[in-house]
Amino acid sequence: MKKINYIILGMALLGLSSCFKKDNYDGPDSGISGKIIDSYTGQPLLSSQNDWQLRIWEKSWTASTAVNQNIPIKQDGTYNNSKLFAGTYDMSVNLGPFWPIDTAKNVVFGKGGKQQDFTVTPYLQVVDFTTTVVGTNLTMTCRLKAPKRVLNGKNLPDLYDIKPYLSLTSFVGESNNINIPEYTGSKIIQIRKSWIVQYGDVDYSPVITLGPLIVKSGYTYNVRIGANVNIGSRPYNYSEIKQVIVP
Amino acid sequence: MKNRLILYTVLLAMTFSSCQRLDLEPKGILGETELFGNEFGVKKYFTALYNYLPIEDFVYYGNNNSSAYRPGNFWEACKFSQGNASGEFFNTWVGPTNGGFGYWPYDRIREVNLFINNFPTYKSNFSVATYNSLLGEASFLRAFFYSGLAKRYGGVPIIKEVQDPTADKATLEVPRNTEYDTWKFIYTDLKFAMDNMSATSERGRANKYVAAALMSRTMLYAGSIAKYTQYIGLGSEKAVQDGFAGIDPAKANELFQYAEDAGKFVIAGPYSLYNKEADKGLNFANLFLDISSPENIFIKDYDRTAPQNTRLQHSYDALMSPVPDFSSNVGTESFPPFDFMELYGMTPYVNPDGTPVRFNNRSDIKNGMEPRLRGTMYFDGDVLRGKTFGMQRGIYQTYTGTAADAQAGSNVAPINSTVIAGKTNRILGVRNSTTVVNGVTLPITAAHGSFEDGNAENNGFGAAFMRKYINTAVPVSDVNLYLSGQHWIVFRLGEVILNTAEAQYELGKRTEAFANIALIRTRAGATPAPAIDQTLINTGSINKVNTYPYSLEKSLQFIRDERERELYGENHWWWDLRRWRIQDQVLLNFRPRMLSCYFVANEGKYIYLDETNRLNRTWTASRASVYEPIPAGEIAKNSKLLPNNPLY
Repeated sequence: MKKINYIILGMALLGLSSCFKKDNYDGPDSGISGKIIDSYTGQPLLSSQNDWQLRIWEKSWTASTAVNQNIPIKQDGTYNNSKLFAGTYDMSVNLGPFWPIDTAKNVVFGKGGKQQDFTVTPYLQVVDFTTTVVGTNLTMTCRLKAPKRVLNGKNLPDLYDIKPYLSLTSFVGESNNINIPEYTGSKIIQIRKSWIVQYGDVDYSPVITLGPLIVKSGYTYNVRIGANVNIGSRPYNYSEIKQVIVP
Repeated sequence: MKNRLILYTVLLAMTFSSCQRLDLEPKGILGETELFGNEFGVKKYFTALYNYLPIEDFVYYGNNNSSAYRPGNFWEACKFSQGNASGEFFNTWVGPTNGGFGYWPYDRIREVNLFINNFPTYKSNFSVATYNSLLGEASFLRAFFYSGLAKRYGGVPIIKEVQDPTADKATLEVPRNTEYDTWKFIYTDLKFAMDNMSATSERGRANKYVAAALMSRTMLYAGSIAKYTQYIGLGSEKAVQDGFAGIDPAKANELFQYAEDAGKFVIAGPYSLYNKEADKGLNFANLFLDISSPENIFIKDYDRTAPQNTRLQHSYDALMSPVPDFSSNVGTESFPPFDFMELYGMTPYVNPDGTPVRFNNRSDIKNGMEPRLRGTMYFDGDVLRGKTFGMQRGIYQTYTGTAADAQAGSNVAPINSTVIAGKTNRILGVRNSTTVVNGVTLPITAAHGSFEDGNAENNGFGAAFMRKYINTAVPVSDVNLYLSGQHWIVFRLGEVILNTAEAQYELGKRTEAFANIALIRTRAGATPAPAIDQTLINTGSINKVNTYPYSLEKSLQFIRDERERELYGENHWWWDLRRWRIQDQVLLNFRPRMLSCYFVANEGKYIYLDETNRLNRTWTASRASVYEPIPAGEIAKNSKLLPNNPLY
């Protein structure tokens, strides 16, 4: 009886281990991180969480056509993916709100990761950003700046929207905002014209006023203004974020 | 011994002769000779193809992953319908989707190609007219499949030959053609069909006018795509630069001209607008039910008496009217938003001073309403299957002030929340509930529209119900899943006239366009169209807060609106928004509204208020939804399908 038990156990062990094969492929030990730098300010580009993505294509894998992987850009203008396989990659940032730049070809991601910054020229800058609260009405103003209306023979695409963003968290922008009729629709300035037609051949727009927007007493809002041009997925250039405390 | 020898000899003889007989064609299978060699065989072969045509009808729903045109669980079609996904209707949960379902009918296209390729072998079996007509019909079928592809993806590979599956991999990996070439290929096929097909056909099969109707629709699509793609800021995308998505604007007039020509060809044909009833509202409703309508150009038949599980029935009636009075199962899954009723011009419900108009009866809202709207939707007081629709949202104890004071139905608006005699000024309730105000018992709500919960999802989220295509002839007990048999009109003269009018206006033939619009409006019982107005505007009539990325003449917008007034609920809206390149503006935070009826207790009168939909739902279509992505599985098989469409 005991023998039979041993035989059964032995066979079970054999059965369980017979198909065993160790996955000996190393885990991803490379990565990519970096900043998107605004060429005007030298600082990371003012962004919103995951508005647009950096695209990478692994070129050292040749068994099939490379499919892009997307790495979201964070609110502070940085990005990071720490679990990639080492190899050569192409990198493109051209989904963002700035004049296109060349794809970075054959970037080597070695063991331990790689740091790669991109310097870009935003289509628009949102400057002189102010906020005023009177009672429960919030008014924001800003000026737009477009130092480059033509670059490499291409015109600045038409101005599209100037949009207020309000949020109750520290994340504020196109992907994180209080999306209610009071802050959208007619509260957005919808331009649909070229810079030249709208403002003339000048660097700065006049002061633009958004609002008044209804806010609630006793709340603290994080607010900013975004502006975009009619290209691609129409990503936004942002002002800095201001905190508004409604008494 | 001798016997055995004979036996062996016989066996030997049998083995030798048996092999010859096995070379015979099997009698149970129809081969090419049987199918292509005579008219009935061809009909049988085509039947299967007709079955798979990309027709967005009662059973179509675009987010069904397997096959949207022949979905499995197809009773759900009315809740996940294209109308619900694009804001033309609203219900409790469906929003815009644009992943598509990977439509890729190259298997059917191969079957058509096989026919076109091999049919000439059997030419001698047919009269010249029949032979040409059948070959034309095949071209029509192929164009129809390609039109389903082109309106989703833009440029796709044009396959005209029967590919050999064992051929070299490189020849099987066919790259995309440009969008212009794809539509032009559809044009060529349809032109061939128009030139070669007979003028009449049995019901459910195409003839030269059906081909022309498809031409009118497809070329209008192509013309709009050529004209408006330049404005949407996708010029930096590779698929646009290479011509796979979008067409050179210089080609727009050529394509609009094809649409106009095809439209005129149909209008000159044997069809006429449906005008059998003197009551214009009833006439418009009957147009969709009368299978003998002279307006029908091409229909898809359904049959409620056919065996079950054949996909020959649908569930439209059971899913578009409330239970239990008008449907025996499920109930309404699609409610018409007020935004679309407004297109027809509503009976005034707000006075010039901003106060709500007082009505003696709820159904007075229908006074002066355009008959076509009454034929499209059911309102309070309308009768269906022996019962009367009743739609009331609630009671106001008093209503002093303007319509705007109700703040689109907000619970916190003072006029709604103020407490009078222990009750809020605005009183809401479940179906058929009552309350006592000043000692009088009053109904808060009625049996159908707009009550608070208590099975409201399938009964009372809106303030009107669909009438178009609702079969009035069946008793309530027979209104159930898979029991509807009314036909779907694929092409009708009304649509072709509208296609033609739009193409003519785009070509600058404004007067001719409005002559066609007049035909539509007269039949609809509508007031004459306003004079041609070339003022440029950049907002539409639905979700006006968002402006288009381009300007258009006011009268062109009128023609676009006329199209929706006439074709509401016929699955054109989503494709129209896309080809006009405004789907991401019209459906940007689009919050469908409803027109709610209240009884004002102290006055004994009714008022109508413009409110947001009950769940405060919004619709937003993505920027990318101007095209669907090429199916990932197909790209994995054939990387020459890249670049993918913009923003994917």
